[in-house]
Amino acid sequence: MRVIGGLGQMVWSQWDDARHAAAVIGTALYLSLRPRHWARTVRNMFAREVLAIGVEPLAIVCGLAVLVGVMVVAELAFWTGEAGQSQLLGPLLVAIVARELGPALMNIVVIVRNGSVMATELGIMKIGGRIHVLEAQGIDPFTYLVMPRVLAATVSTFCLTVVFILVAFASGFLFGAMIGKESPDGLLFLSTVSNAVHPTDVLNVVAKSVLPALFASATCCIAGLGVGGSVIEVPPATQWALVRSIAGVFVISAAVSLLTYL
Amino acid sequence: MAAFASVRFFEKWETRPLASARTMNEPANILSFDDVTVEPGADYEAGIAGVNLQLAPGDLVLVLLDAELDSIPLADAAEGLVAPAQGTLRFLGEDWQTMAADRMARQRGRIGRVFEGDHWPSDLDVDQDITLAQRHHTRRALKDIEEEAARLCRVFGLPGLPGGRPSSLSRHDLQRAACARAFLGAPVLILLENPTPSISADVIPALVKTIHEVRQRGAAVLWTTNDPQVWNHPDLRPTLRRRMAGSHMQVMGEPEGAA
Repeated sequence: MRVIGGLGQMVWSQWDDARHAAAVIGTALYLSLRPRHWARTVRNMFAREVLAIGVEPLAIVCGLAVLVGVMVVAELAFWTGEAGQSQLLGPLLVAIVARELGPALMNIVVIVRNGSVMATELGIMKIGGRIHVLEAQGIDPFTYLVMPRVLAATVSTFCLTVVFILVAFASGFLFGAMIGKESPDGLLFLSTVSNAVHPTDVLNVVAKSVLPALFASATCCIAGLGVGGSVIEVPPATQWALVRSIAGVFVISAAVSLLTYL
Repeated sequence: MAAFASVRFFEKWETRPLASARTMNEPANILSFDDVTVEPGADYEAGIAGVNLQLAPGDLVLVLLDAELDSIPLADAAEGLVAPAQGTLRFLGEDWQTMAADRMARQRGRIGRVFEGDHWPSDLDVDQDITLAQRHHTRRALKDIEEEAARLCRVFGLPGLPGGRPSSLSRHDLQRAACARAFLGAPVLILLENPTPSISADVIPALVKTIHEVRQRGAAVLWTTNDPQVWNHPDLRPTLRRRMAGSHMQVMGEPEGAA
């Protein structure tokens, strides 16, 4: 009985946290639609966050995409060759890289690289009394600190996902052609890939890159601004935010897959 | 042509700093505490109880704090950041408690403040932090804001608008920068929260001179201090003197007249 009670309490706690994150996301999106909330300081903050989240890790993302492209093609070439279905290389590449790996990996990269920074930075600002100073200057901390971070993380994750998919496809094609498992005709590869892409795939990629990014950035902001009065509260809050964000990536991705393809 | 003219009009209007945009029907008092009680809560060493205080344009109210009492919610209450348990707090005639959030934010943009301790948003360089409120609340050209900020920094003994991270400046220089930040953008109310322990004595004459200037243009100043040098400063000429005895405010002298 106690176990069931504990489980129920955990479910309610998770539900409350999810509602809190949804409220932060909803408020950020609602405020972002109103031009008066885009003061130049907020625009500057948004640009700074886009640079930090979406531009600075481009080299890492491209390197990762090359490795993933090579790895997936090597694996697929073996199995499609075993099954005598080499023509399936393109569609399988789309299914694995574009639908699943790309959005999930990019979300994880953004969470690990920038989610931790968000939670820590906001936590330290809260403890240092800086949030109070902003309020005293008439600067709404939500509009100035949270909204640009949530939006920048979302836009950047989507853009990084697109870059990742394109680079992984290109590297996969080049590697496949190099080892003789893929026709060296680039146009033929493009045609195979584009024929394998359906409108639901596009919707799937957008949803799987945008929704977890919204959830993760909101969770990291909540964790950072939710710390109390001591610096020692920042590491556990950051850890909580990262674990929750990464779990959110997989839960949301699974839910989107179920809704899109079943 | 008419559309072009109207756009030019709005551009011109928008470049005016909101902080100095006084309207015709603004009330006589900039700040009013009417029988205000604020509980100490977790953030303050003591609350305030039954405080009555009015600051008209040009007023300087000097409040002497208990030596062992650093944090009281007087400045936070003046900005409507804490809700009074009793009484009414008005800024330019409007009750903070009944103001909409956007209005509150805009009105706080008209208040300059030197905070207790040194608070610098860790994600900003010092120059960005000094100009932050003006960049946020107004559409003044950045160059214009930076020129005014640099002039104020020089007044308070810095060589110009300091760049770089807050950690690259000494505590004294950060407090000079905090003074410049408080006076930037022609605020109608300036709150000085015990600024002198962190600044060197040579800044006090500049601070006193700047206070005289802002009082002459119609701003009000509320200065809390536990520094006897400030309390007895011959050139300060406050309108009112008050002393905090615990959470109660005591009258120390009759009005001496505005500067």
